[in-house]
Amino acid sequence: MNITGLETLVFGVEDLAACRQYLLDYGLHAAADDPNRLLALDGSGVELYPADDASLPSAPNGCQLRLAVMGVADEATLQAIAEELGKDREVHRVDGRLQSVDDAGFAIAFQVSRRQPLPLIGEISNAPGSPIQRVPNQLGVVAGREAIQPRALSHLVYFVPDLAKAERFYVERLGFRVTDRFDGVGPFIQPAGSLEHHTHFLIGAPAFMHGVEHFTFHFGGPTEVIQNGSRFVKAGYQAFWGPGRHIFGSNWFWYFNSPFGCHVEMDADMDLHDNTWRPRLAPLGADASQAFLLRRRDNWMPGPGTPENGDYAN
Amino acid sequence: MPKSPTVPNCHAQPLCHLSELGEGSARGFLPDEDGQDRIFIVCHEGRLHAWRNACPHLAGAPMAWKRDAYLSPDGRQVMCHAHGARFEPDSGLCVHGPCLGQRLESVALHISTSGQVSLADPHLTCSV
Repeated sequence: MNITGLETLVFGVEDLAACRQYLLDYGLHAAADDPNRLLALDGSGVELYPADDASLPSAPNGCQLRLAVMGVADEATLQAIAEELGKDREVHRVDGRLQSVDDAGFAIAFQVSRRQPLPLIGEISNAPGSPIQRVPNQLGVVAGREAIQPRALSHLVYFVPDLAKAERFYVERLGFRVTDRFDGVGPFIQPAGSLEHHTHFLIGAPAFMHGVEHFTFHFGGPTEVIQNGSRFVKAGYQAFWGPGRHIFGSNWFWYFNSPFGCHVEMDADMDLHDNTWRPRLAPLGADASQAFLLRRRDNWMPGPGTPENGDYAN
Repeated sequence: MPKSPTVPNCHAQPLCHLSELGEGSARGFLPDEDGQDRIFIVCHEGRLHAWRNACPHLAGAPMAWKRDAYLSPDGRQVMCHAHGARFEPDSGLCVHGPCLGQRLESVALHISTSGQVSLADPHLTCSV
């Protein structure tokens, strides 16, 4: 199945205005034709509806994510998915999307990819010896730069009550590959039409956790993640974990609490893997998840206003 | 870097005045260097309840999603916006989520005759 990745996450939320402002402050922009469709630069994004909107598919356990829409390469892939899933479940077309449900009880849909190509380079570091450098006088960081916008929807992490069943569905029915795995927790999975380390991560969890752990968008590089995250914190949003860099996937991360009942991450620079990659297995733990973790410091040298006991006393 | 045991804000400074805490509201206090509140106070049915900003489902997990946003959307429960745990605002008991049956850690308050709200134990700021 030539599935290319996630394209749209549809949420049914209790406080639509707060959720919308959260995503605008995160860096998404509203679609010209729908203020509640919030987009990254490539057109992937989030759709918001009131939680009681009867047109939304149901979700387990009060989960606010009501539908995960994936892109596919072409109409033939859409047909192939319709035939495969039609063997044992209802599949129907809604607004050009093929909609059904996965084996963990989450509504899923597929559409011929609507992502726009992004003719943008990523963050370039002036590493000595590297043939690729920033041109002279191009700055690596601009403190007062304009809004930092996420480039593309990255990945989604589900809590699933029956991990083996959920994994079989994505791998055997939809043709995802396992790229790495946390032992006893779950796999990072990649669809056949993407090289990204993961577009989904499945976590086996008790039934009362059934839902979403986080979703995230890719930014242009670590500087964008950290600069944008710092602005987010300054705007009053609450960081949960980060900024740091994961080991599996190598992506830079910064996780925030959110009004969506799950975490929302900012990420950048995820590894790409093809089908020659051999999955790794590691026990879950902070040491296995973070290569390093950074810490903010407001004051970094003594000077006027330094407390009697020094900055470390703050 | 370990924190010094003597912290400048370990004095009985008032957190706020009673009149600043409206019924059904929550507010965070004593932010650390990352901008995260060490404690928050909920005003529920005319009484103040102060809790550590640390969800029992993960050691020390911060609970708000935005500054002072500690309550569920309907305002009736304290909510951890990390993994969705919900708590009774007066007892701190978790009634839904990954730490079901566990409790938030309470922080004793002192309310002066003039209505100034402060920590009952001013040295508590060192450890929360």
